Amino acid sequence: MDPMHGRMREQPKLAGPTSYERIVLKNPSEHHYMKVQLEFNGEGAQLSATQFKLLVVSALKNLHGEVGSSLPLDLLSFDEKTLCAVLRVCSRGLVKLWSSLTLLGHYKNHECSIRVIQTSPFLLALAGNSRELDLE
Amino acid sequence: MLRGLEACPRHLLVCEKSSFLHEKSRHSALVQSHYYNCSVSLLLPECASLPEHIKRTVDNFGRYYLVRNLPLHEFVKEDFINTFVKKGAFYALTYRTRIDQDNSAALLPTGKLILSVDKDTYEELGLQGKPSLYSGKNPLRYIIKIDLTEEGLAPGGKKFQRLNWAFTEKKPLKCDFLLAWDNTGAPSILSYFCKYTVKECNFKITSRISRDLPCPVLKSGDLHGKPEESCSSEELFDWLGAVSNSIDCDNDSSNFISAFCCPHPNTMVERAHLCTINGFVTPENIQRLLDQLREYFAEPKLTQWVSLIVHGFADSPVSWKECEHGFFKGGENLYSVVVFNNQDYWLQMAVGTHDGCPP
Repeated sequence: MDPMHGRMREQPKLAGPTSYERIVLKNPSEHHYMKVQLEFNGEGAQLSATQFKLLVVSALKNLHGEVGSSLPLDLLSFDEKTLCAVLRVCSRGLVKLWSSLTLLGHYKNHECSIRVIQTSPFLLALAGNSRELDLE
Repeated sequence: MLRGLEACPRHLLVCEKSSFLHEKSRHSALVQSHYYNCSVSLLLPECASLPEHIKRTVDNFGRYYLVRNLPLHEFVKEDFINTFVKKGAFYALTYRTRIDQDNSAALLPTGKLILSVDKDTYEELGLQGKPSLYSGKNPLRYIIKIDLTEEGLAPGGKKFQRLNWAFTEKKPLKCDFLLAWDNTGAPSILSYFCKYTVKECNFKITSRISRDLPCPVLKSGDLHGKPEESCSSEELFDWLGAVSNSIDCDNDSSNFISAFCCPHPNTMVERAHLCTINGFVTPENIQRLLDQLREYFAEPKLTQWVSLIVHGFADSPVSWKECEHGFFKGGENLYSVVVFNNQDYWLQMAVGTHDGCPP
């Protein structure tokens, strides 16, 4: 076992000043993240996170068939009040997901659409949106 | 065709490790050269409320200003250059202009005025510029750079007159501007621009405490991480995103809704404090905050690291220094600094497609 390992356990401090190192990662993210909002035309419907995920998967299936609906897709967060969601999709599925969301028009006989608010390969980028800086 | 459908837009993540104690440490230079920031967050694991010295720094951020319909020729006035630009640390950026469709402008603290304009405006202005790097073979967008501190730009000189003529007569451009000046004890922006509608804006500060959070184990000397020992810088960057967006990391791989989980190895922290400051934040303020974060470990703490997260403006014409920045799909330009308790740090800088590699 590494002799440093035992020492670190006894001492909460980390080892001495580290040397400089830089790594540049090109296209490091396997996933893309999308912040979207579901909007209804007129009276809307209540949705749970599971129902929203089903809605997105069915949109993918309608446009891209079984291949589309089997894309690795995660619903990272969903706000039932504002109907805002954060989706994660594998990078190669971004175009398929985006096109399916664009063409989505109905949920249980309610007319609806999905607005893409922000998209990024970095989840952290969705936490700050300068276009939402409202000073009015 | 399928390959084109599956290609993902290029993006870069640069990770660095170093120590604040190194003489040649670049942390200050990198913070100071990321000029336009719309939000700063502090993530302090195992912290219930912000320490007094950090809270004081946040409260002393001062104010920034929104000036409506400010003509660009105001920036090339002798009085303005002498009062603000030559004293340094003056920041201006167009507000609510979209870099991919509108004309936008930024005045850098170095005294450079950078305009990103569409083809029509460029031709009407008649100033020398270069086609945007990201506009393809038939450029529809041009970048004009004007150094306001240059000697050749003396009042009354030919260049000065041409600039004034371009901005007042040829194409009088007007925009809403965000202004900030990190210089106290000087004539205020409010009184100088009293002819225009100026709004004094306060920073919006929000705090959130997450409880029982899985938190990655990090080793400051190992950026790449090792299985079962510590997490890599890249994994941490992902996790910071999850915490900042209040995303639940406690899922198992068979969960229908989400299989997102915290990187391994991790430890459970009882609480983590996330404080976010939104507004037009100057690099000087971020530098002060970073200095205070280094002080955080002067007293023993339960956590071994804290993090500072900074988001740049998606519609700014530059990201770092004078590196051209565009929007494409997200316009992301952000960085995070992880401060360790032994004065080591990690720096992670991320940019999207229309952006050069961070310095």
